[in-house]
Amino acid sequence: MSNQNWRRFDWLLLLAIVMLSIFGVIMINSAVQGDPELAGFPKRQAFYLAVGLALMFITAAFDYHLLRTLTIPFYIFVLALLAIVGAIGQSIFGAQSWINFFGLFPIQPSELAKVALALALGSYLATNQEHIGELRVVLTGLIIIAPIFALVALQPDLGTAIVLAVEAAAIFFVAGLRIRYIIAGVVLAALSAPLAWSMLAEHQRTRILIFIDPTANPDAYFNVKQALVGVGSGGLLGKGYGQGTQSQLHFLRVRHTDFIFSVIAEELGFVGATLMLLTLFFIIWRLWRIADGAADPFGRLLVTGLTAIILFQTLVVVGMNMGLLPVTGLPLPFVSYGGNAMLSLMIFIGLAQSVTMRRN
Amino acid sequence: MTTQRHAFFSRMWTLRIITVIIFLILVGQLARLQFLQGVGFQKEAVVNRVRIVRKKAPRGVIYDRDGRILARNTASYAIAIIPAELPDDPDYEVSEQKRQAIYQAVYDITHEKLARHQDIPKGPTPTPDLTETHLILDVSQPPEPTVLTVDAMADLVAQRELGSAFLPVIVAKNLPREVALQVQEETYRLPGVQMQLISRREYPSGLYTSHIIGYMGPIPEEKEKDYAKKGYAPDAWVGWSDLEYQYEDELHGQPGVRVIEVDVKGREKNVVGEPTEPQPGHNLILSLDLELQKIMFDALTAGVNPKRSNSAAAVAIDPRTGYVLGMVSLPTYDNNIFADGVTPDEYKALSEAPGFPLLDHAISGIYPPGSTFKLVTAAAGLQEKVITRKTILNAPGIIYLPNRNFPDDPDLAQPFVCWIHKSGGEHGDINVTAAIAESCDIFFYKVGGGFPPTDFEGLGVQALADYAQLFGFGEHSGIDLPGENPGLVPDPKWKRLAKGERWVTGDTYNMAIGQGDVLATPLQVSMMTAAVANDGILYQPQVVVAATDYKNHLIKFNHPIVRREIPVDSKNFDIVREGMWMVVNWEYGTAKEVALPDVEVAGKTGTAEFFDPEIGRDLAGNLPSHAWFTAYAPYDDPEIVVTVFVYNGGEGSMVAAPIAQEILRGYFDIKARDEAAGSHSLLDQLEAIAP
Repeated sequence: MSNQNWRRFDWLLLLAIVMLSIFGVIMINSAVQGDPELAGFPKRQAFYLAVGLALMFITAAFDYHLLRTLTIPFYIFVLALLAIVGAIGQSIFGAQSWINFFGLFPIQPSELAKVALALALGSYLATNQEHIGELRVVLTGLIIIAPIFALVALQPDLGTAIVLAVEAAAIFFVAGLRIRYIIAGVVLAALSAPLAWSMLAEHQRTRILIFIDPTANPDAYFNVKQALVGVGSGGLLGKGYGQGTQSQLHFLRVRHTDFIFSVIAEELGFVGATLMLLTLFFIIWRLWRIADGAADPFGRLLVTGLTAIILFQTLVVVGMNMGLLPVTGLPLPFVSYGGNAMLSLMIFIGLAQSVTMRRN
Repeated sequence: MTTQRHAFFSRMWTLRIITVIIFLILVGQLARLQFLQGVGFQKEAVVNRVRIVRKKAPRGVIYDRDGRILARNTASYAIAIIPAELPDDPDYEVSEQKRQAIYQAVYDITHEKLARHQDIPKGPTPTPDLTETHLILDVSQPPEPTVLTVDAMADLVAQRELGSAFLPVIVAKNLPREVALQVQEETYRLPGVQMQLISRREYPSGLYTSHIIGYMGPIPEEKEKDYAKKGYAPDAWVGWSDLEYQYEDELHGQPGVRVIEVDVKGREKNVVGEPTEPQPGHNLILSLDLELQKIMFDALTAGVNPKRSNSAAAVAIDPRTGYVLGMVSLPTYDNNIFADGVTPDEYKALSEAPGFPLLDHAISGIYPPGSTFKLVTAAAGLQEKVITRKTILNAPGIIYLPNRNFPDDPDLAQPFVCWIHKSGGEHGDINVTAAIAESCDIFFYKVGGGFPPTDFEGLGVQALADYAQLFGFGEHSGIDLPGENPGLVPDPKWKRLAKGERWVTGDTYNMAIGQGDVLATPLQVSMMTAAVANDGILYQPQVVVAATDYKNHLIKFNHPIVRREIPVDSKNFDIVREGMWMVVNWEYGTAKEVALPDVEVAGKTGTAEFFDPEIGRDLAGNLPSHAWFTAYAPYDDPEIVVTVFVYNGGEGSMVAAPIAQEILRGYFDIKARDEAAGSHSLLDQLEAIAP
């Protein structure tokens, strides 16, 4: 902790995140209006934001190198949790992904899996960066992430599995993976697509099929269609906060999570939605900057992996709200309702801050 | 730092560029949706949330001239499910289970109550035999109660939920009232289950008046837009035929409209604007006398031999007004079968059944008018001074019309025979009244086409055609019923265009006795007779005389409409009427058997030959003939015209005249009874207050 320096803490990044998260709480408040069962959600999100900020500062205070030493025990711990979830986890929307920890905080091990993967792969590749051109190193890297990926995919939690894959890909890429391996990876992924298809759960297949042919299942297409109508009817300035007919009359489902972007675009229009996207862009840009300026390869790879997650989830969630991508059930970073997502995101940011505070 | 740097830019910068591209795509798509496609999505958002809820207006009631109900609304009982009120659990499985239980309960309870209600199990429903010739086609039966299966309920509810979840889904209908009430009692705990009263059109006089009243059905696909413009709900029913169709606008009323904002479940959230209350439709009062209509129906049914005739019609008109007193067409059908909707197959079977029961032969059927047309020839001949009352023409049983090009060659002359010639007789020297009374063909051949051998000049085709038109032939009578056929008055131009042949004197001969190509509806023949009876006023026939609003305030009274005053002198009509009087009251009259004891009747018989490939000629080579009789009474002060037409009936005097006699007898019996009782019809009362 010798070179710890709070003046190197990225306060602009923090400001952007706090603003975006508070904006999220406000939009969740609009989204859950008229639904007594969800009435407490904005407050809970605000609570998670506060807890998350505290977690972020705590995480930032720790030297991320310290964390590196804990990589193996943490990795094993996460694997164990994922295995337990398969046995006792609660069923939510078909995914066995939640454990109610001490009955207080529902913990989603798949969130921890994202951190564990970044630590393990980042740590290994940082050590072996000189030999990244060797097949042995690439294969070992893949073997390291295989169990964690497999357990998440088997839950089945398709969304998180893809996020993990993207995270790993970003880390490999920044670690200097040779172009030939990248091509080989793409070819392999294409070849294994039928296998992946067979592993998908019914509702996940439906989502993809609907994306390809929206008319196949009018009932399921309804959600996507309503999100599109919500976004499209927003216009330049939107219908006004709390005035979105698509959201307030509940034509949009899961408004506070999956389709929060549609609520924003409908009620605040092009201006509001673009400002929100710009804020997210700024956050991601600052994170790339942190990765680029990291003191060592481990820090760079760690931040790269976590930033890739944020970028990818933004793309997927916003894209699906606008009919560009299939519905996955992922949260929009900092905006969608969800305590777990908020807490883990804040830990990500804490790690990034820890890296930037300890740059040369 | 051991970062591996690329020649141009680092991999970190690659990720930054990817990030920029991703955000550009997202903002670009946002702009595309909100600006380029914005208007469309804004419309969709409005369609999503705004619903127009219509409350049906009660349809107008149709009464006869005495206030007897011919069409009314009755209730049928149904059980409905309102999707928006069904249990809705966040867990799909749970809410499906709860709903299934409700569907099952509705199904079981309704079936149980129905079974208890109908202790005796029903046999197979008799299907009407449409292959035989039925003059009366009665396929009506009390509507069968129907209950949907549990799966069908679930399907319908799921469909409705995507659209208007607040609209009830009918799951059991046509329930007896007691059954509906019992089901309601037992299902009051079940959310979303409701008993519904469904308005149903009922025609108490059924097959007696089906060709006047008509029937209703769902909005035809091709007219969806028109009716939507008028504010009709998509599931509204509209008149399909006859008065139900003709007076749709008056009968329908205005549905009450509420514009509401709904949520995704179809639950009402807000009312937009001022709701309006339904405005009931107007009631119609007809000139028709149901009692007379039944007499006409019975007389026609009894007088027609169904083995010979596949159709027949009778029309009764008030010659002083043109109002229709009765109008019957056989075969008929019970319009009540349409109350619950018919399947396309049922409709097809009915519309294609022998004699075409759905067709009103009185206004849509066109036939050669035969000798009834001689009234026109007589009036025209008198008015054009071709003949006078005293003109006597020689009428042998057969005359020979010389060939136009070889007038001196008797071998080329064309023979024209009189009906009487078949029995070897002849009319001899005869004047116009006797010619009408005896229905002498030769006399009218000569009046129509002249007779060159004696240098007698006839009317000629143009004058004859002109008078036919003046009497209303070849044009719509303008009756307030749909589907009227104008018939045909041929002339040289028509023949050239339609047949590519030159008009010859023989054609004029045939036309003069209502044969050849002249075609008329029984209604047109009636209006002609009415014009003769009333001294030359051709009225526009009317069925509906008055309309009242739902509070029974008179809002419209249709006074008689004069189409034209026929330019024939009264003294000439006197002569024609005298001939008609002789038809019934002279010892040589063709219909002297149908005189009534107390009322002087005047009429004209008609036996109109026609060609039908299915019937062909008889053994003697004669064509089959339609039987006609058109009459008015009383002779000195006409108040009713009756025309009877029997398809392939044979002799008008033998078949049609006795039916007309029955109808006239019935009319005057009713009149005598009502006058004795001093009662006045509803129509008389309305006329008294009409502006």
